[in-house]
Amino acid sequence: MEDLQTTEETMFVVDEVSNIIKEAVEGTIGGNAYQHSKVNQWTNTIVEQILGHVTKLNKPFKYIVTCVIMQKNGAGLHTASSCYWDNTTDGSCTVRWENKTMYCIVSVFGLAI
Amino acid sequence: MDRRAELERKKQKLAMIREEKERRRREKEAKEHEEIVTRITKPDKDLRAETEELLSSLGIPLGNDGSLIRSLNATPETSLSPIPDQSLTSTQSGTGLLKSSRRQVKLSVVSVHQANIPPKESVTYNKQTQTATSTIDKEAHPLDYYVLTYGDVPVEEEGEGCSLPSNDSESPALYPRHHGPHKVAGLPKIEMVRPAHVAEGDNPLTPGHADLQKKVTGTQDLSEEEKQQIMMSEEFHSFFDKASRIVERALYEDIDICVDYTGIGEEQEGDDKSGIRLSVNRCFVDDRWSKNRTITSFDWSAQFPELLVASYNNNEDVPHDPDGVCLIWNLKFKKTTPEHIFHCQSPVMAACFAKFHPNLILGGTYSGQVVLWDNRSNKRTPVQRSPLSASAHTHPVYCVHVVGTQNAHNLVSISTDGKFCSWSLDMLSTPQDTMELTHQKQSRAVAVTSLSFPYGEFNNFVVGSEEGSVYTACRHGSKAGVMEMFEAHQGPVTGIDTHRAQGHIDFSHLFLTSSIDWTVKLWSLKESKPVYSFEDNGDYVYDVSWSPIHPALFACVDGMGRLDLWNLNNDTELPTASVVLDGSPALNRVMWAPAGHQVVVGDDAGKIWIYDVGEQLATPKSDEWTMFMHTLQELKNNQVDQDLDALTSLSSSGFSSGIR
Repeated sequence: MEDLQTTEETMFVVDEVSNIIKEAVEGTIGGNAYQHSKVNQWTNTIVEQILGHVTKLNKPFKYIVTCVIMQKNGAGLHTASSCYWDNTTDGSCTVRWENKTMYCIVSVFGLAI
Repeated sequence: MDRRAELERKKQKLAMIREEKERRRREKEAKEHEEIVTRITKPDKDLRAETEELLSSLGIPLGNDGSLIRSLNATPETSLSPIPDQSLTSTQSGTGLLKSSRRQVKLSVVSVHQANIPPKESVTYNKQTQTATSTIDKEAHPLDYYVLTYGDVPVEEEGEGCSLPSNDSESPALYPRHHGPHKVAGLPKIEMVRPAHVAEGDNPLTPGHADLQKKVTGTQDLSEEEKQQIMMSEEFHSFFDKASRIVERALYEDIDICVDYTGIGEEQEGDDKSGIRLSVNRCFVDDRWSKNRTITSFDWSAQFPELLVASYNNNEDVPHDPDGVCLIWNLKFKKTTPEHIFHCQSPVMAACFAKFHPNLILGGTYSGQVVLWDNRSNKRTPVQRSPLSASAHTHPVYCVHVVGTQNAHNLVSISTDGKFCSWSLDMLSTPQDTMELTHQKQSRAVAVTSLSFPYGEFNNFVVGSEEGSVYTACRHGSKAGVMEMFEAHQGPVTGIDTHRAQGHIDFSHLFLTSSIDWTVKLWSLKESKPVYSFEDNGDYVYDVSWSPIHPALFACVDGMGRLDLWNLNNDTELPTASVVLDGSPALNRVMWAPAGHQVVVGDDAGKIWIYDVGEQLATPKSDEWTMFMHTLQELKNNQVDQDLDALTSLSSSGFSSGIR
């Protein structure tokens, strides 16, 4: 019994989190063009929404959510991240979204308590 | 169950005690108004005593208040936890629960996320001009055409017999020189203000010229000295140059003033000619300059379709003559001398007209220099030269081309060390852009011998190399450089030409290559194998050229003096027309006239032959393009059949029936 519980309740489920991220991003900036005045608001909204949804899952996890919105100007962007954690329980999910005027990269890291 | 009842009873008792307390407090308050000080302390003690009495009567164990509260507080928690016993114990047991649930955690490093957004590559175009810093031009004139003069020019001019020495006459308006009059031709002194001569000399309104004229008309008899002086002057030379050209043309014209339009007594030559497919029209040769020199390249002027530039190799018999010669011939007039004569120190391997500048002629030489001649000047030597440095070319330049549009064009030159340089015509001191053409698999550079840009293309091109392979490459973009390789021939590729005839079907992906391995091959950019191989020749094939108007017609020349015209819609096995030149010289170059009715052939004795191509052969009919499509399809099918036959013949007899 206890093993089942640890796999479902105490493991990072990537698909679930990925859906949450997609919904949040689409809802906030889907269909909008890059606007310097609004970008701050967007990033905040996205991060808060995702964090809210993810904590509602009531899992014993610590979460870290990052959101990068970059205007499409012809510049290149290169990031990388690496983690040292327990692979069986911890995980992350990154979603890359773009439209004609901007890129949006959201990462959610979940670390089991 | 008992326990619960007990607990409930305890609750009730507590409630009762609380009620009593409240009652007592109310009474106390009422009494307080009467007796304040003494009665404050008393009721507290009474209350406590009373509660204690009550509780002790109930049998509840009395420790301190704390323990009672704790046990009472524990009641709500029990309903939550599945194991009620454990919740009443101290917190120590709580941590024990957590400890038992924590597993052995194994931590590992995970490379989680990478985001890569590549930058947009933008190709930029840069145009700049630069004046050379070699001359210290103190007194420059606004009418000067050339600020550039080279210090080593005198070396070349010394060898000339009829060069125009730079000299000044004693015109009052010009600058006094520090040397006296020259009597010996060929001792030029190159001065900075020399261009000013040309400007002032040409303008008849300048006072200097007027003075000169007065001088001439004033005295009746000119002494020998004065005559010499006039003949040596700049103005005289430029006038003489221009006038002599015009007179020459007029003298050679043989317009028949007795022409008879009624047609009686004269045979019409039209019928005869229509039967002849290839006939000699003219031969251009200059005894002084083109004799015994191999012709290395041809080009037509875009603005004047009768002008043809031919570049020549060196003449081994006459080592003192300049090694590289470039002549401009005029097809319109019947005179047998070239329009312009240019030369330079190193054999010219490739020459072309600057497409958008009618007066500039460019040449690529054996020494790796790219030279620029101008026919506005009276000089026969280059007005601009690229440096002999590692930034430019250090190997023979076999191909020069002007590509681009009127406002955005470049000179492109490739040398046999694979270096591709792109130049601006204003500035030959450094190339605008250089590139090494190396095939990805080999680290060696491609030794380019021939180059062709497809019609309408400025970026992609095809090159033939010394190893016998053909490469496609492009100039700009992220994949600048060699793209594909075709294993073409077994010997160096001598000529490459991309399809030029424009019609309703686009064949610009086709190109022809000729090589020392006796074959001419037809290729398509879309396929890595040749479409067809023409093997009718018995000697090295030196050049091949598509007709500019007929989609299926091309010409090739070989080392035995044979000029072949192939019409692929007619016959793909044998040339449609073939002729051997008089004396069987080795023919080095072939090119079609832009009108498509004449073929120009150059041989290794310095002669240029103009052949007329019969109307029926040269002019395409309206269905030639569709016929050519069919011809190509047939060739492809034949190729497939050949491959199949080869496969079946290789296999053993037992299997052959199965495959068929």
